[in-house]
Amino acid sequence: MNLKEWIFTTDHKRVGVLYLIGSIAAFGIAGIMALLMRAELSTLGPTITSNPATYNVWLYTHGAVMILGFQIPALTGFFANYCIPLMIGAKDVAFPRVNALSVWLFYVGVILACLTFFLPDPPDVMWTGYPPYSIMTTGNTAMYSFTVLILGFASIIGGVNFLTTVAYMRAPGLTLNKLNIFVWCTLAAFVLQLIFVPVLGTAVTLISMDKYLGTHFFDPAAGGDVLTYQNLFWFYSHPAVYVIFLPFIGVVYEIITAHSKNMVFNYKMVVYGGVGGIVALSGVVWVHHLYVSGMADWLRIGQMITTLMISIPVGLMMIGLIGTLYKGSIAFTTPMLYALGVVFLFLIGGLTGVPLALPSLTIGVSDTYYVVGHFHYVMAVAGTFAIFGGVYHWFPKVTGKMYNEFWGKLGFWLTFIGVNITFWIMMDVGVKGMPRRYYDYAHFPQFESAHQWMTVGAAILGVGFALAVLNWIMGAINGKKALDNPWGSPSLEWSTVSPPPHGNWPTPPSVSEDWHPYGFKKD
Amino acid sequence: MAHDAHHDHHGDAHGYDHGHAHWDTSIWPFVISFGILFLAVAFSYQFVYHNGFAAILCLGLAVPMIIAGIAGWTSEAMGKGEGLSYGAMGWFILAEAMIFVSFFVGYWYTRLHTEVWPPAGTIELPRLMPMVMTAVLVGSSLTIHYAEHLLHLGNKGGFRLWYLVTIVMGAVFLGMSIYEWSHLMHQGFTISTNSFSTVFFSITGLHGSHVVVGLAIFLAGLPSVIRGDIDEGFMRTAGLYWHFVDVIWFFVVSQVYYW
Repeated sequence: MNLKEWIFTTDHKRVGVLYLIGSIAAFGIAGIMALLMRAELSTLGPTITSNPATYNVWLYTHGAVMILGFQIPALTGFFANYCIPLMIGAKDVAFPRVNALSVWLFYVGVILACLTFFLPDPPDVMWTGYPPYSIMTTGNTAMYSFTVLILGFASIIGGVNFLTTVAYMRAPGLTLNKLNIFVWCTLAAFVLQLIFVPVLGTAVTLISMDKYLGTHFFDPAAGGDVLTYQNLFWFYSHPAVYVIFLPFIGVVYEIITAHSKNMVFNYKMVVYGGVGGIVALSGVVWVHHLYVSGMADWLRIGQMITTLMISIPVGLMMIGLIGTLYKGSIAFTTPMLYALGVVFLFLIGGLTGVPLALPSLTIGVSDTYYVVGHFHYVMAVAGTFAIFGGVYHWFPKVTGKMYNEFWGKLGFWLTFIGVNITFWIMMDVGVKGMPRRYYDYAHFPQFESAHQWMTVGAAILGVGFALAVLNWIMGAINGKKALDNPWGSPSLEWSTVSPPPHGNWPTPPSVSEDWHPYGFKKD
Repeated sequence: MAHDAHHDHHGDAHGYDHGHAHWDTSIWPFVISFGILFLAVAFSYQFVYHNGFAAILCLGLAVPMIIAGIAGWTSEAMGKGEGLSYGAMGWFILAEAMIFVSFFVGYWYTRLHTEVWPPAGTIELPRLMPMVMTAVLVGSSLTIHYAEHLLHLGNKGGFRLWYLVTIVMGAVFLGMSIYEWSHLMHQGFTISTNSFSTVFFSITGLHGSHVVVGLAIFLAGLPSVIRGDIDEGFMRTAGLYWHFVDVIWFFVVSQVYYW
C-alpha cells in the first residue's frame, strides 16, 4: 500500500475513506466526552471532576465534534463521496482536487476542535457560541470560530463540487427520475449547505470580531443587538438538521430497498414532495429555537405553523420507507436492523418533536432534558444509526470483504437497548423539570437514580458502538472475501468490482430505458 | 512531488487501462489546508494569548504554504479542464451572496431594533466619492462584457486591451476604497467607534475582499491572455464573478452610504 497515494489522493473513493476514518475518530472522541459527562452525573455532587469548567469543555467538545466532526462529514463526506459518483456512473467528481481540499480542511477543523484539550483557556461556549457569554468569557472563542469557519468552507466547496458533478457527469440514460433517493437527498442537503453555511460562518466570525477586533455587532452599549446572533445562528443551524436528516434518510432508503428487494414506494412523492418540501420549508422554521428569547408574537405563531407544516414532507418520507417494506422480501441483516432502528427512533423523536413546535408547551420544557432526549432520538442517534447501517451496507463494496454478522447484530442490539434506556429516561426527567447543561443537580436530588440509569444506558450503548467499529476493523483486515454485489441490487455502485479501481469502471456505464436503481428482480 | 499528472490524459485513457493501478494525487490541497491551520493558530496566538512572536512564526509558515499551494494548484490545473467552471461558479456565488445577505440582515435587524440611529459618534459620510466608485465599478463590468464579446468574435487584440482596462478599473476602485477608509479613519471614524461604523467597515471591507478575489482571478488568467490562448469558459466564469461583485456593490452603496 502506497501511503503517499492515500494522503495526497484526489480519487473520490479514497477521499471518502479518509472522511470515514476521520469522522469515526471524531465520533470516538466526542463519544468519550459523552461518557465522561454521564459518569460525572451518575452521583450528586462532584463525581469525577470537581471543576465545572472541565464539564463545560466536555459539553462543548461533545456537541461541536459530534455534529461538525462526525455526522455532517460522515454523511456529506464519506457517503456522498463514495456513493454519488458510483451511483451516477461517473468516474470521479467534477473537481477532484477541490474534493481533496475539502477532506483535508475537515481534518484541520477536527484538529482545531481537539486542540481544546491542550489549550490554556479552552473554548467553553457549547456548540452554539451565544453572545454575550462567548464575548465575555476568558475561553478561546477564536478557536471555536475558526473551527466552524474551516469546516463550513469545506462543506461549501464540497457542495459546489457535487452539485456540478451530478448536473454534468451522469451516465448516458440516467435521467433525473432514475437517481437514487440517496443522491436526491444529498443534493438537497448540499443546496441547503450552500445557502445556510455562509450565514453561520458570518455569525461566528462576528463574535470573534467583537471579542478580539473591537467591533460592536452584539454590543448594545454601542447600538448593537445580541439577538442578531441567535437569529443568524439558528437560521443556519435549523437547516443543518436537514443537512443531516436528508442524507441519513437517503442512506436508510438505500438499505431498506436493497434488503427488502423492493421498489421505493411512491418514488416521485418522496423526491418532489418529501425532499422538495423539506428544502422549501427548512429556511423558515428557525424561530422555534428562540421561543423564549423574546420574539414578536407574529413571528412565533408564523413559525409555529411552518414548523408543524414541515412534518408533512418528513412524514411523506417515512411513509415511503414503510411502504417500501410492504410485500418486500425482508432480510434481517445488520444494515437492515440499523435501518429499521432508525425508523423506530425517528418515529419517537419525531412525535416528541411535534409538541416542541408549540410555543405554549416549549416555554415550559425549554432548556430541560426533554429537549435533549428528543434531539438525541430524532437526530443524534437516528442519524448515527443510519451512518452505522450505511457503513455496514457498503462495507463489502468499500473493502471487498464481509463483516461478521453475529458481532454486527450484537452491537446493534446493545446500542438499541442502551439508547432507549438513556434517552427515554432523559425525556421523562425533562418533563419533570430537570434542566439541561448542569454540571451538578444539587437542587434536584430526586433525579439521582434516573441519572444512574441513564449512565448505565450510556455505557451499554457505548459498548455497542465500539463493537461495531471493532467489527469493521476486523472485517477490513481479515474478513471473508465479499461478492461484488452481495445484496443483489441493480443500483449502479454494485455493478463494478469490489473495491472499485481508480476510474470505477473499465468502460463508463450507460443505462437502458427500463433500468431503475430499485428495479429488483423478483425471486 | 506530485506534479505527476492529475488527469494528464483527460479522456478515456485512465490508469485503469495501463494494466496496473495508478491513483491520481496532488499535494497542493494538503498544503493549503495545513497552511490554513497555521493561520488559525496564528490568530489565537496574536489575539487570545498575546504572544506576538509565536504568531509571526505561525504566519511565517501559513502564508508561504497557502501561496505555494494556490500557485502550485493553478499551474497544475489550468487548461486541463479543471479550472473554473461556469456551472460551479453559479453555486459558489449563491454561497457568497448568502454571506452578504447575513451581513445585511444583521445590519437591518440591528438598525430597525434601535431607538436612536445613527448611534453616537457617527460622522457625515462623503456623498460624491461613492458615486464615482459606482461609476468605475459598473464601467468595469461593461468593459469585461465587451472584452468577452470581442473574444467571442475572435478579436484577440481588442479583447486583450479591454481585459487590461478592466483590471485597471478594478484596481482604481480598490485604490479609491482605501483612500476613503483612511480618510474616514483620520476623522476618528474607525471600525470600533459604534455599531454603525462596525457595519460600515465590515460590509465595505467584505465587498473589497471580493474585488481583490475578482482581480486575482483576472491576474491568474493574465499570462494566457497575453499568450493569446485564453479559454472562453474561463473568461465567462471570471466575468460572471466580476458581475456578481458589481451587483453586490449596488446593495452596499445604497444601504450603507445613502440610507
